[in-house]
Amino acid sequence: MERPQYEEQAIATEDAADENASAPNHRRDLGRVSRALSFRNISAVYVFIVLFVLFSFWVPDTFLSGDTWRALISSQAVTAMLSVGLVIALSAGAFDLAIGATLGFGSIFVAWLLAKHGIPIVPAIVLSIVAGAAVGLLNGLLVVRVRIDSFIATLGMSSILLAMIAWISSSQQILGLSNSFQKLGTTEIFGLTLPVYLMLAVALVAWYVLELTPVGRHVYATGGNTEAARLAGVRTSAVVVVALGCCGAIAAFSGVLVSSALGTGDPTIGPAYLLPAFSAAFLGSTQFRGGRFNIWGTVLAVYVLATGVKGLQLAGAPIWIPDLFNGVALLVAVGLAKYQGTARRAGAVKRLLRFDRQ
Amino acid sequence: MNSLLDVRHLSMTFPGLRALDDVSLTVGAGEIVAVVGQNGSGKSTLVKILAGLHDPDPGSESVLGTGPDGSEVSLHFIHQDLGLVAGLSTIENLDLDQMHGYRSLLPAPRREERRHAEKLIADFGASFDVRRPILELTAAERTIVAIARALDGWRHPGNVLVLDEPTASLHGDEVQKLFVAVREVAERGAGVIFISHRLDEVVELADRVVVLRDGHLIANVARGEFDHDELVRLIAGAIGSADTEHGRPDRSDAVLRARGIRGTTIRALDLDIHAGEVVGVTGVLGSGREELASILFGCAQGEVDELDLEDQRVTARSPRRSIELGMAYVPGDRRRHGAVMTMTARENMTLPRMRPLRRLLGWLDAPAERAEVQTWIERVNVRPPDPERMLSLFSGGNQQKIVLAKWLRNEPRVLLMDEPTQGVDVGAKAGIFELIAGAAAAGAGVLISSADTKELALICDRVLVMRDGELAVEVNKPDLSEARLVSAALGRARTDGSRVETDEASG
Repeated sequence: MERPQYEEQAIATEDAADENASAPNHRRDLGRVSRALSFRNISAVYVFIVLFVLFSFWVPDTFLSGDTWRALISSQAVTAMLSVGLVIALSAGAFDLAIGATLGFGSIFVAWLLAKHGIPIVPAIVLSIVAGAAVGLLNGLLVVRVRIDSFIATLGMSSILLAMIAWISSSQQILGLSNSFQKLGTTEIFGLTLPVYLMLAVALVAWYVLELTPVGRHVYATGGNTEAARLAGVRTSAVVVVALGCCGAIAAFSGVLVSSALGTGDPTIGPAYLLPAFSAAFLGSTQFRGGRFNIWGTVLAVYVLATGVKGLQLAGAPIWIPDLFNGVALLVAVGLAKYQGTARRAGAVKRLLRFDRQ
Repeated sequence: MNSLLDVRHLSMTFPGLRALDDVSLTVGAGEIVAVVGQNGSGKSTLVKILAGLHDPDPGSESVLGTGPDGSEVSLHFIHQDLGLVAGLSTIENLDLDQMHGYRSLLPAPRREERRHAEKLIADFGASFDVRRPILELTAAERTIVAIARALDGWRHPGNVLVLDEPTASLHGDEVQKLFVAVREVAERGAGVIFISHRLDEVVELADRVVVLRDGHLIANVARGEFDHDELVRLIAGAIGSADTEHGRPDRSDAVLRARGIRGTTIRALDLDIHAGEVVGVTGVLGSGREELASILFGCAQGEVDELDLEDQRVTARSPRRSIELGMAYVPGDRRRHGAVMTMTARENMTLPRMRPLRRLLGWLDAPAERAEVQTWIERVNVRPPDPERMLSLFSGGNQQKIVLAKWLRNEPRVLLMDEPTQGVDVGAKAGIFELIAGAAAAGAGVLISSADTKELALICDRVLVMRDGELAVEVNKPDLSEARLVSAALGRARTDGSRVETDEASG
């Protein structure tokens, strides 16, 4: 009993110091603005500016062409949509390591339904999304009912999905997808392909639910402290299951878009999407919302990473650059988040010292 | 007598609190010294200073003597959680401290290790399979492993073993097994400091008893000069009037009526809480009072035969359902259960009930939410009054105020609390008491489970004292005093030595 009391005393002193500092209101508002524009809050924007300026001078002919940017935005739409799905799961405190395999599964499943079974386009797409949702719900049930850690549950699921992909496709590309299906991934509106708009629509809905509704609050509370959320009346099990379900559905839909854009069902594409999605989600969590997973930070992160990769490729970098770039970005993002945590504590200590000297 | 440990004029001051004031004590070779006192009396501070976790005030002195053979004395600590690795066997746990046989990468000499472990255990009068993982052992066996491990490295007899509440989780016959081991330690010439809440045990085991109260050394008496009642008087200070045994007439306006509450420790407890009443529950560690509130709220292992909120029968029990029916629960562990530390004060406050703020398409009315939270922050006086601040950045007292505001916002009919002032600084405590009184005045029934008898005496209308999973004494307002509660909590355990086994783990 004595020891905690002592600690609280110290923190109380720190709070007193804080109060002194934030007395006038306008100064606090000014602080808010500078905090909103601070490197810590929107570092990705600054990184983007640096990258943009750098490559504009390095490879101006190709980097500054409109075609490059249109292609970049369109080609990253699927990754961005997948990352949005991942953010939903991560916000609820669940890792979805099966997200790449779910994308691959959705992509091969829709091609299989279309080419091998002749199912019409709309039902085939709906069935694929439902299948992805089912995979996600199953992940969720493994986590909350069987009480397998989400890391392990989705890792296992990932391998099972890869096996199913190989099974239904016989590890061969599925060809012969109709032109009208391919239009879904290739139709251009204002120079950008349809998936870009679909991604924005999905992101908008996810953002609305996560940020502006009680449901979203429940999701973040579950991710922040499951037990406390449960004691506050949140149905934490349902939240985790539904979040993973949404994540699975979005991943499968992303897969559908990949098949449509490629014009074939490719059994090998899934796993390559896993790391970019995680890099983007974690880098995104360091943006805007002070350490919380969030939709627009993640979408921004996808395009900042892609810009870096694209610039390096245009400058003649070798083919392995994207993997390196995404890996480094993931480590830097998580390291940055940890650093922010310690920096805040260090800040508190500094305030305390300043108060003591007065 | 040759003293192994000599503590002189030990004082320890925390900001705003003198935890120990000029305490001196010595421990001789082969002597078992018990340190008793209630929560906050300074026992744990004493242990922490001896362990080097706190630096005492200047002027304090503690001297380690020399053993009978002139060697230096060392201190060994066994804390309540024992510090064993649950998944490893006794042999492996002993090895963590002191490797036997070869070092480096050579394979461990299994037979030798096992024989060594068995011998150590046997020395303390115990025999069990040393290859079984720790988690399969009984609580007493685990404690013995911890003692054996602490003593394993002793190459010389001059040592002091400090046991901090070793019997809190033990049943009657297990306590006896532990005592055999402790006496064995003393017979080998070591000194033992034994911290305990349970006076029966102290009377039985100790050669000398040191009584602390509010950081002062009240008494230092040798065996034969104390008995149970005398110790209670020393620990609690003055004692109030005689027991008011339970049997209070049922009033009709009970907001909560529970019959047959059972948990891991609690056996068939009945409880009524009336509108506007503040009911306290206290008892020593392991008495069952820790789990009462969480069982009622439906979030801990346990059952209630009949639970009525006013006229509503509560059947399906979950936190969610309890909240809907008008219950609120402030858990003791704020960080783990009480709040989401990574969310802001605003988000925490509205988490249990956002329905009134929900608009078209599930939109959460942010301006209305901010306005409401701002009102609550002013009402409960949170410092700094910033609703957008992350909860972990508030001080403990302000965090607790936010947690309280979160529940008071629901206008609960029954407010359940575990240790509501734990980790709360003195200034914020008064504010929290005011909020509790305010909730009761608004017609809520309040239940506070706490080890802090001083506070309970201050804020409660009546206090239930639990012992061994049962209601021991009920103390009503006019008789309510700290001393009265302490003596009731420390009262004599049943003499047959059987603290009844808890069997079921249902729910």
